[in-house]
Amino acid sequence: MTRLSPDHLVSVEGLHVSFSGIQGKVQAVRGVSLHLDDGESLGIVGESGSGKSVSCMAVLRLLRSPPAQISAKRLEVAGIEITRASKSDLSAIRGGVASMIFQDPMTAMDPCYTIGQQIVETIRTHRGTPRRRAREEALRLLKKVQIASPEAILDSFPHQLSGGMLQRAMIAMALSCRPRVLFADEPTTALDVTVQAQILQLIKEIQEEMGMGLVMITHDLGVIAETSDRVAVMYGGKIMETAPVERIFEAPSHPYTRALLDSVPGQGKGRGRLTEIPGSAPDPSSPPEGCPFHPRCPEADARCISSDPELVKVTEASAAACWRLS
Amino acid sequence: MLGYALRRLVSVSVTFFVVSIIIFLMMHSIPGGPFDAGEMPLTQEVRQRMMAQYGLDQPLYVQYLNYMWGAIRLDFGVPFQSPGETVAGLIGRAWIPSLVLGGLGVLVGTPLGMLLGMAAALRRNTWIDYLASAVATLGLTVPVFVTSMLLILLFSVWLNWLPSSGWGEPKRWILPIIAYATIPLATYARYTRAAMLDTLSKPFVTVLRAKGLSERRIVFQHVLRNSAIPLVTVFFPMFLGTATGSIFVEAIFRVPGLGSFFVSSIETRDYPLEMALMLILAILFALAYLLSDILYAWLNPRIRFGGGSE
Repeated sequence: MTRLSPDHLVSVEGLHVSFSGIQGKVQAVRGVSLHLDDGESLGIVGESGSGKSVSCMAVLRLLRSPPAQISAKRLEVAGIEITRASKSDLSAIRGGVASMIFQDPMTAMDPCYTIGQQIVETIRTHRGTPRRRAREEALRLLKKVQIASPEAILDSFPHQLSGGMLQRAMIAMALSCRPRVLFADEPTTALDVTVQAQILQLIKEIQEEMGMGLVMITHDLGVIAETSDRVAVMYGGKIMETAPVERIFEAPSHPYTRALLDSVPGQGKGRGRLTEIPGSAPDPSSPPEGCPFHPRCPEADARCISSDPELVKVTEASAAACWRLS
Repeated sequence: MLGYALRRLVSVSVTFFVVSIIIFLMMHSIPGGPFDAGEMPLTQEVRQRMMAQYGLDQPLYVQYLNYMWGAIRLDFGVPFQSPGETVAGLIGRAWIPSLVLGGLGVLVGTPLGMLLGMAAALRRNTWIDYLASAVATLGLTVPVFVTSMLLILLFSVWLNWLPSSGWGEPKRWILPIIAYATIPLATYARYTRAAMLDTLSKPFVTVLRAKGLSERRIVFQHVLRNSAIPLVTVFFPMFLGTATGSIFVEAIFRVPGLGSFFVSSIETRDYPLEMALMLILAILFALAYLLSDILYAWLNPRIRFGGGSE
């Protein structure tokens, strides 16, 4: 996509992730390039299986290998090359420089320890703070994420809390070492609709207050609209389009982005009429030749079927991978 | 927690009462009796006198109450096959070798099995994993009398390192302990591997990695504790099953333990001994499960706090 300089907080260039399984190789991510600066907010949107979560897991090397095989021209967080990072560098980055929150808060905490113990553990791992002080710090964090009765929550076990409270606690834990970037992997998908908005609001507020980078991974364009400055649209393990958030909603360049917008109630051009994208997402074990979207694309022609388009600049800040644009 | 333990203790007492009635009735519904005709038939008169002497001519409920009154004071009467001592004395004497050998077998086999299972889970699909699976499968499928024979063959006959049988000096304990240890070793290797793999696949493990914890801390502080919950349930019943002696192991190594009495007391219609063995086993198993449940609750906050709101 755009020029990469060594001073980006997160730099990903030419990332490929595949999983070797019984049915052969599954190519989950096929040449993704992304970058993020301090204080910036990037949204990654795509259907399930588009490779958005896998890309971010790869950035923190959280995929088990084997079966995952990761290769990249460049995969850096805060100047450290992740594919070659030592154990201690990796530990310092995970939870220290870059934190991650996950889709289902109900299964994200160890059921055997209290919320307080788990936050204290994170603080002490990175900063070696004395237990008493770490506990005070945990309490302060729980207050910061606006949890009701934080003292009681500190000594509660995960099963005693609701999903929304747990996600707040997860956020508190993720923030405990003042990370420079927060990866949020569908943080509201498993929550009640009323709670979703509150959690997004909280993440946004904290991001702005702390000047932290944010990568919001979601399938929900509404979430993107609320949280992101810049958007990357993923499909079939590739980035289809990347652009500032306004441009994605007002002047999408890629047919897939347009189709995505048309399938959201109250979005896009076809207001009032909801359309679906015909067909289904490509099978990652045998992705189609050419552009991954061509089997479902209303504008596809012979060139789209035979060869795969590169990301090309559309404006100074946006790019799309579509033959129609070149 | 204390209330929970007390409630469970009451249910254990009820279980014990019910089990004692069932055992008593079953014993008396077995056809035949201790003074039935064998090689030297007794006269009718002598038989009746003998029956009266042991209280066997009274109605069943009277026999039961008499028996239980004695049993709660550990007076189980006199074993027919060894009239010179009491049942309690015989069990106490014979149990010591079984408890020592079986107990040590479990205490040796369990940690080894756990280590093997852990190594297998952490090095999945490597030679360690395959070795652990092979050991576990062999340990569970090869009968203990075959294992015992092979041990004797290897260490006593071929290598001539260890005595093949007997009880007394600790040197003689080694082979039976190894024979006993194979079962908990195999069981625990299997259970630990399965429980660890299950825990390792949980999303919270990924979260722990994302927090920057070391792999060692994740395994020992989190994965092991979550995996221990199903393992605890197996331990006490397994300990008891082994520490009451195996008739095969004790016969092969000629250990004067409890194992053989389980069979001989049925064969000879030795009601007092058989009843006592069954009752003691029943109460010990009930207590073993109680202990498992309490430990389980202690390890698992979801049970300790009554399941939460969901």
